Amino acid sequence: MIRRLIEGSLILFSWAAGLLLTLAFLTLVGFLLQKGGTSLGVNLIFGDTAPLDALLLRQQVFDGLFPAIIGTLLLIAGSMLIAIPLGIAAGIYMAEYCRGRVKTFFSLLFDILAGVPSIIVGLAGLSLTIFLHRSFSAQISTSLLISCLSLALLVLPYLIRTTQTALESIDPLIRMTAPALGASRLQNIIRVLLPNSISEIGSGIILATGRCAEDTAVIMLTGAVASAGLPRSIFSQYEALPFYIYYISSQYSGPDELRRGFGAAILLILLCAGLLLTALWMQRRLKTILLYR
Amino acid sequence: MVSSTKIRTQDLCFYYHRQQVLHDISLDFPAHQITAISGPSGSGKSTFLMILNRLWEEIEGCSISGNVAMELDGELQDITSRALSARILRRKVGMVFQQPNPLPMSIFKNIAFPLRLASITDKNQVRHAVENALRQVQLWDEVKERLNDDGRLLSGGQQQRLCLARALILRPEVLLLDEPTSSLDPEASAAIEELLLSLKSQCTLIMVSHYQDQIQRIADLRFEIREGRFISSRSDCDGGNARRQT
Repeated sequence: MIRRLIEGSLILFSWAAGLLLTLAFLTLVGFLLQKGGTSLGVNLIFGDTAPLDALLLRQQVFDGLFPAIIGTLLLIAGSMLIAIPLGIAAGIYMAEYCRGRVKTFFSLLFDILAGVPSIIVGLAGLSLTIFLHRSFSAQISTSLLISCLSLALLVLPYLIRTTQTALESIDPLIRMTAPALGASRLQNIIRVLLPNSISEIGSGIILATGRCAEDTAVIMLTGAVASAGLPRSIFSQYEALPFYIYYISSQYSGPDELRRGFGAAILLILLCAGLLLTALWMQRRLKTILLYR
Repeated sequence: MVSSTKIRTQDLCFYYHRQQVLHDISLDFPAHQITAISGPSGSGKSTFLMILNRLWEEIEGCSISGNVAMELDGELQDITSRALSARILRRKVGMVFQQPNPLPMSIFKNIAFPLRLASITDKNQVRHAVENALRQVQLWDEVKERLNDDGRLLSGGQQQRLCLARALILRPEVLLLDEPTSSLDPEASAAIEELLLSLKSQCTLIMVSHYQDQIQRIADLRFEIREGRFISSRSDCDGGNARRQT
């Protein structure tokens, strides 16, 4: 009797937890839409500039979020370009080659790195910039590149850990299959182990991408500014959606600007949702290509 | 048929971390025969098989001592020697596991996988070899229409025959079988047993098996291992020549 009561309440609790989470998300989206929904439109993104001119880079956008969107996308692309190869390589090393005390040491190191608050990573990026500025060239300042490097460092532990865990959790039977057929270690990793862990590694990449898209602490110290237009190169400063939201929330001048801030928040969520869907699609395609082609 | 010795182990010991798993195993395995290794679970039978293709090297914390000589390409070679690469050895010593282990890829790619690993890419050659291997395990007629289907969609018995075909495609001299029928129903088991008998002309088979009746049916020679020690051998034909050293 008591057992059934406990079981029943456990199921109820699980349902309630699921419901709560869904409600929280819907409330959040509803709130954003209510506050910033009216600002959504071509004008929010492109301001007074004709969209086509802006997209073809013929004209700068000054009063729209276009530069911030592009800045965020560049930021994600840049940091993932650095973090994905490094993270996967390090994950492979940890799972397949690293043994004994060295492994314990590196594991501890990556766990510590994973626990470092993003503001500290931002400070590290800033210190690096100051160091470069003093010792090499006075022209070096905070920039898109520094932000990408710092963000890559921030998400690296996720990627290493997910790759490592994915490889280590492969069924021993599958792990032994290729070596028993005459595969070298590298052949086994490339032809069997990695394709079999694509889903898990993909999930790690998705998490890391989200982190890069939303992080504000790192970029506000390493190169994001309120108004810069499109970045001219990876060495220049840039605008980004999360920084814009943070900036507006702390110093908006009127209800209209606040509405635009909420609009930016909706755009950021849409951007993340878009990236997530693309990543999921790619994850599935990649698995098919790697294993069945 | 009087057969020569294919594999000879001498004072073979195996250690997992500090624990000794096999103790002083000295056995001769005759060529072109089926030698069965039996014994209770956990007695080291599978470990013994993994020594013969050096698969143990893939597991952390393992070490061996003693000698294992195998006649490969017509000459006796020390297979524990570093001079012989494990990859080359494993192409000559095929292995089939207890659970069928098709890789998550198409039937065709599964069978062709060892060729790909050995950098044999000529399409005609590969197609030919795949067909031959599938015919050899009598799977060709069942799967020829759906070679591009996922190998894991086959039935258990078909999967095991697929694994057998995959192990045979490089024409190994020795075939190791770790309880190859234990996950199959009697009918599928019978098909596999039939196949193993037909393979004797091509290679030397060493099979771990739990089933006394299976051993009686197909094995020429039987060794028993208990708690990592060789206990007894029973020969069902004249070719067996087990010896025991003290």
